[in-house]
Amino acid sequence: MKTQKALWGLALGAALLTTSALAGPEVVEGPGYNPACFAPWDEETKYLQWEGREGPYRIAVVNGFVGNTWRIQMIQTAKAFAEDPTISDSIAELKVVSTGTDAPAQLGAIEDFINQGYDAIVTIAVSPDGFDRVIRLADRNDVVLVPFDNVLDTDQVMQVNEDQYLMGRTYAEHVLGELAAVGKTSGKVLEVRGLAGNSVDRDRSQGINDVLDESGGDWDRVSVVGNWDDGTAQKVVADAIAVHGEFDAILAQGGTTGVVQAMLDSGHPMVPISGESENGYRNYLAEYADEGLKGISIGQSPGLVAIAMKAAISALEGNVMPQLISVPLPMATYDELEDGVNYWSDLPDNFFTVNEFPPCDVNISGPAIMAQDESDTN
Amino acid sequence: MIAKPLRHNRGFAAALILFLVLFVVYHILHPRGFSTAVFIQNANETVAIAFVAMAQTIPVLVGGLDLSVGSVMTLTACLASYLVVGTPAQMIFGMFLTLLAGTTFGVMNGLIVVFGRIQPIIATLATGAIAMGLALLLRPTPGGDIDADLNWALTNSVFDFAETFGLADDGNAAWLQPFANIPVPLIILLVVAFGVWAPFKRTVTGRTLYAIGSAESAAKLSGLPVRRAKIAAFGLAGFFASCGGLYLAIQTSSGNADITQAGAYTLNSIAAVVLGGTSLLGGIGGAIGSLVGTGILRVISFYFRILSVDPLIQPLIEGLVLLAAVSLGALRTLRIKNKLEHFR
Repeated sequence: MKTQKALWGLALGAALLTTSALAGPEVVEGPGYNPACFAPWDEETKYLQWEGREGPYRIAVVNGFVGNTWRIQMIQTAKAFAEDPTISDSIAELKVVSTGTDAPAQLGAIEDFINQGYDAIVTIAVSPDGFDRVIRLADRNDVVLVPFDNVLDTDQVMQVNEDQYLMGRTYAEHVLGELAAVGKTSGKVLEVRGLAGNSVDRDRSQGINDVLDESGGDWDRVSVVGNWDDGTAQKVVADAIAVHGEFDAILAQGGTTGVVQAMLDSGHPMVPISGESENGYRNYLAEYADEGLKGISIGQSPGLVAIAMKAAISALEGNVMPQLISVPLPMATYDELEDGVNYWSDLPDNFFTVNEFPPCDVNISGPAIMAQDESDTN
Repeated sequence: MIAKPLRHNRGFAAALILFLVLFVVYHILHPRGFSTAVFIQNANETVAIAFVAMAQTIPVLVGGLDLSVGSVMTLTACLASYLVVGTPAQMIFGMFLTLLAGTTFGVMNGLIVVFGRIQPIIATLATGAIAMGLALLLRPTPGGDIDADLNWALTNSVFDFAETFGLADDGNAAWLQPFANIPVPLIILLVVAFGVWAPFKRTVTGRTLYAIGSAESAAKLSGLPVRRAKIAAFGLAGFFASCGGLYLAIQTSSGNADITQAGAYTLNSIAAVVLGGTSLLGGIGGAIGSLVGTGILRVISFYFRILSVDPLIQPLIEGLVLLAAVSLGALRTLRIKNKLEHFR
């Protein structure tokens, strides 16, 4: 009797072991599917492959914090994208929940969607750690979990983000290029940083300063903290201009509408500038480029959610996917701006303009997202 | 044990009925309702906030609010992410230290309130900020590496617990089967609630809490140990908050000094206390009611995962349901003839 029980236990254990060994993604050799859109982060990035299955799929978006424009626009983008003809046939159901900044609630929501048998769960993690349990559950149940924007400190799941360091480098390269075009290879620059202690701020600033170092020019750098917020950035830039006088260029990484507003208010000459993708900033670029505001605009797009959903679907179809996907930086320079295409003079200043990723076939226009917005609040 | 509070506290009775209705309907609608996996998920999501709500209940019973409970939970979670490591014996010692730290912090709150003669709401606003500062010192960025087996065992069913640690024939022993599907987090919650709160309530100190909440000067004049009871109230709040912190750390295998989360937990704990039938004026209610209140709070948000509700109006609906739930407890006001009956 006892032996029988032990054997039964062994058999059950073996069954559990085999299922957990089979479930989850397999680490495979690259290259991955559609590398123009799903670019691997670097050469070390490994590739994952799930067993393909028939669509259409059930997808859940588990957002954490809600309450700023970016997050609301992200949610609207997810809904608009699910109805997009290029993808709507692959999605049987899309559910979006926001749990607030509450780790157990976010973990619980993910676990609930795993229990409900959803095929993929897209999430912005409230913490870079602490997802071990849901990752284990997702693998056991063959659910594709895709953190994006705020990603996890793990290589066990497929994740989607933009390369913040590269963004910082591109900001500085553009600005130095514009300065070189007018013959300046040294001078005084103002850096407007983001939220202190945040890895995104750290990486963007690192990129900016590395390019300044490598240029060999003698750059007098003044650094202020604008928290990616228009109001804060406007105040600190006004203070910096009052104290330091004129700058040859401004390297901002957010709150850029406020930065330009401060320049206008203080009568600071229009100089080369870098910044995020706020609609207000792009409006200023279009208006004042002739006076010297030769800027570049690159942003962390709320449209990342669409890429994450697309990556999840691609993984469910059985395609080979990079573990860490680097989304091409959505950028526009002052000479590429066109009203109604990549900025909108009739939309609010705090609207995030970049939502289109041509290599990924993600083309949700600003007005489409805003239209979604209105129909929902009524 | 249940019948008596039901008769004495209609708020609690209403809360229990509301919770059961919401919970059963949720499971009927859920594609895998009434299954172990869903019960485990429900329990996991509820433990930390339930402990914090129980912590909040006790200062509320004496007529105060403890604004530090969320921060103490966060601080002890950060502490646990350093202490609960190593051999099993070391981990258990680390858990003990974590709970001791939280209790000490609570006792300190009590001492400040009693001897500093400061209103609890102000005193704990300050000490809460101190706790948050300490948490940020411990974990400026999220981190820690609590044992994966411990995490798995304590966030699953009794069977998984036994299997992980090789107990009871890896969870297959016949005697274990009646309990095998019960979620471990639920057991932890009930053991602490009924093992600590229920006996405490019957002591002289415990009864004094209610007396203070009803009429503090009368309690004092009757020779009840008012100071001791107040210090015990905040100490016990610290203990329950650290239970929440310890579980949160194990659940997430890490510590994270998240200020927003600490604030949200403090506010939600007050909501859970009120939902559970405890009066914010003190003297009526109890920690078991807050467990039920937490259940209501969480179940409402569970619905958004199975029903199609527009994500941007979810907070609005949650607020409306909460308001309705709290109002249910106040309905009896409409029926009584004499307002003095409130105080019976």
